[in-house]
Amino acid sequence: MKQNVVIIGGGIAGMEAANQLQLLGYNPIIVEQESALGGHVAQWHKLFPDMSVARDVVGRMSKSIASTNVFLDTRVVSVKSSRSHYTLSLSNGVDVTTRVVLIATGFGLFDARKKEEYGYGVYDRVITNGDLEQWMNGCADSRIPESPRSLGFVHCVGSRDLKAGNNQCSKVCCMTAVKQAIEMKELFPDSELYCFYMDLRLFGKKYEDFYINAQRDFGVHFVRGRVSEVGEDIDGRLCVKAEDTLLGKPLKIHLDLLVLMAGMVCHPQTSKVAEMLRLDVGNDGFFKSRDNLANIQESNQDGVFYAGACTGAKTIPETLAEARAVALRIHSYFNNL
Amino acid sequence: MIDRIPSGFHPFVIPFLLGMAFVLGYCAFGLFRIIKQLSWKERRKLAVSLITPETVVKNIRDIFCDCLFHVKLWKRNKLLGYMHSSIAFGWFMLIVLGHLEVILFVPKRINLFYYPIFFNYFVAEDEITLRGSLLFFLMDFFLLVVLSGIVLAMIKRVSSRLFGMRRTARPSFLNLVGLYALWAIFPLRLLAESFTAHISGGSFLTIPANWVFRQFLGNELNMLPTWWAYSIALGVFMCVLPFTRYMHIPAEMLLIPMRNAGLKMVDARKGFTRVQVLSCPNCGVCVDACPMSANRANLKDCTVYLTRQVRRGNERRIEQISDKCLMCGKCKEVCQVGVDGAQLRLMQRARRQYGFSPDFSNLPQSQIISSSSQKNEKVLYFGGCMTQLTPAIGKSVESILRKSGVDYEWMDREGGICCGRPLYTAGRTREAEQLVQKNQEIIKNSGAKVLLVSCPICYKMFLEHYDLNDIRVVHYVPFMLDFIASGKIQLIQSEVSYVFHDPCELGRGCGMYDEPRQLLKRVAQIREAEKNREMSVCCGGSLGSLSLDFAQREKITRASLDNLCGSGADAIATACPLCKTTFSRYSDRPVRDLAEIVDELIIDN
Repeated sequence: MKQNVVIIGGGIAGMEAANQLQLLGYNPIIVEQESALGGHVAQWHKLFPDMSVARDVVGRMSKSIASTNVFLDTRVVSVKSSRSHYTLSLSNGVDVTTRVVLIATGFGLFDARKKEEYGYGVYDRVITNGDLEQWMNGCADSRIPESPRSLGFVHCVGSRDLKAGNNQCSKVCCMTAVKQAIEMKELFPDSELYCFYMDLRLFGKKYEDFYINAQRDFGVHFVRGRVSEVGEDIDGRLCVKAEDTLLGKPLKIHLDLLVLMAGMVCHPQTSKVAEMLRLDVGNDGFFKSRDNLANIQESNQDGVFYAGACTGAKTIPETLAEARAVALRIHSYFNNL
Repeated sequence: MIDRIPSGFHPFVIPFLLGMAFVLGYCAFGLFRIIKQLSWKERRKLAVSLITPETVVKNIRDIFCDCLFHVKLWKRNKLLGYMHSSIAFGWFMLIVLGHLEVILFVPKRINLFYYPIFFNYFVAEDEITLRGSLLFFLMDFFLLVVLSGIVLAMIKRVSSRLFGMRRTARPSFLNLVGLYALWAIFPLRLLAESFTAHISGGSFLTIPANWVFRQFLGNELNMLPTWWAYSIALGVFMCVLPFTRYMHIPAEMLLIPMRNAGLKMVDARKGFTRVQVLSCPNCGVCVDACPMSANRANLKDCTVYLTRQVRRGNERRIEQISDKCLMCGKCKEVCQVGVDGAQLRLMQRARRQYGFSPDFSNLPQSQIISSSSQKNEKVLYFGGCMTQLTPAIGKSVESILRKSGVDYEWMDREGGICCGRPLYTAGRTREAEQLVQKNQEIIKNSGAKVLLVSCPICYKMFLEHYDLNDIRVVHYVPFMLDFIASGKIQLIQSEVSYVFHDPCELGRGCGMYDEPRQLLKRVAQIREAEKNREMSVCCGGSLGSLSLDFAQREKITRASLDNLCGSGADAIATACPLCKTTFSRYSDRPVRDLAEIVDELIIDN
């Protein structure tokens, strides 16, 4: 009989791991709290660096696990652990017994309302990176004007921010801002675009090309300095105050739309899952790996593994690589039992 | 009663006399120095108050209430109140009754300074009179009162928790010497008076004790040594008094008239400040009260340690303690003596020399164009920097103003000049003054009659440091209460229950406790936190601190949140943008400003 592997989270990490485990001859069971697979990536429009359509990527992945057991709209309610088995009670009434649990719960998007000075939820013309992607996917958004003349992107909203309680870099937002700026310029060629950044961390393959293109071909203005406050005119336009630290001067710009690059924070359910399975959580709120070099996928509990952004901010290629690696790790775990 | 010793003197009084002479000399010299440090104006103020009957009566009343009866302490903590007042008042009564005995029984000895103290040694009882026995009874009674206080003090020394104090100040070495000398005085007095009770008479305490001692001692050899010991304990106590916390006894008697004369602290060390420092009784009530002491951190940075370090002249520590403080003013609120810890630190901060001092004279001049329609009184709304960072508050205030039909102008909508309070609390008074001047000009030129403020930090600054002629400075809370009273806005009731957090600057800073609660009651249910009003715990975000780091502030914020959430309310309400921002970071429930809550519940006409 095939061995069960319960995968908590049906994002790209969970799906990819399920696919690989299936190929290795196991019986993966995905428990997903939302009503569809794909997690955050399914909400996105296009993915850098190849501008692949996110829906296609997620669609291909879910096709490859078409025969896998998937429980949608389901959460893990409680866990009983014996010496070699875990019995997970699910919210749909099913109990699953397994030797291996794979945590692929991913991340949560930082709640931009916490940075009240940027005015998300207060002003009509402030949205987040996630909102913009959804709008590009065809969801109507009244906050985005018909033809904005000027747009701003604020990097590091809730990332690298002690006051927001998140010290870590979210890795993907710099590149997302560059990507979204280019996309918006393509949609509104007459508009002026401003990116307010602390540092640009464009480390991945082809990221630098995007950055150069954005400046050279699309005329995006990169301003090194943080936005201090955002106000609103009587006519509803935004008045953004920032500092250009390269010029050493304060800056005041009127904008029609401000996009906040909300960062990755730990998934809101992290502490609950950690409590059920008695897993360690780091001071950043993410799951704590056995170490952060060679054993990122290993937890402090025997038979519980991690994949993807549940242990920290990761890009899509990193997440997929981890998902494949963890499948092999689980395979060798079973072989050594 | 007859004199037993014809000369009226015995060498054992010498230690007491030496101690007394020393402490009186020291205090006289100290008084002279402090009076010399006062400015001519302050001296005049003090002199006038000392001959004005009202202030004289107030002085006497305050000295009795504060120094002897410890009324403030009674209100806060009955056990501590009894402990302190039993020692202070009991001792006072022993001295008074001692003098009464001398006047009544041996009036010719009244000029001998030590006679009332050692009365029982020098006299012999010749006949029992009713008058005498009443006095003897009172003497024994007050001795018992003092002794009960001493016993409590000993218990408190072992376990301060029994007295509701989680932490107290650690006494220094000399303080311990003083403490033990003080503890020794009264048991020794009991012993000494007991040994002589068969000669000099006594009452319910000393006569039975005398009888017991004689049963197994059977001689009078112990008499003189205990009187010596009693005198030595007194002498030691008085010799160390100027260098210990017991200096607060004479200092407080100077502090009260000075405060009633209206003197303010103007120097970091001298004059009235010196009296405040010396008046600190080192009781350590401020240790528990200090919000920085959450999680047992910063225990040595509260006011009791500041006054100690100022007395020691430890400049490095003085600076550290002064810079760290959140300036929430709670230590002053709980202090029995009224030592103003925040002001002490402010004076200290103002002493610092900076290598660079910014010049604000080139800031833009008046920006507000007077566009007032003469019918209504124009309101000028000043949001301040913190409201700019919490736009929901500014938007709500504006919306309420619009809905109530007020003719208003938002002074710093597109940016303005800081009210000056951050610079002021950092001790940079001169720079703050420049900003005050600029804002004053703008406000006066605007033609407004009312200056509306939504940030209590600015509010306090405007009230205390601005001269705006007849322009009324008002926080939005009472302003909105007026709107409701006059029917300009109608509100619906919300189902949400709120706990109100008193911001330091609004509550302890400006004394506004009731108005926010009245406003909140109009729209929602209100719950109270365990520590509220004057005892409210700083949110930890205060810009008063110059050196607290973010991790330490987080602990303070969480402790303050625990206090608020203990009320079981659905949400937290406050009236300060800085408190709101700070709490929002860690709160598990919504944190909202009163303006936001009210604006949402206005019935649109």
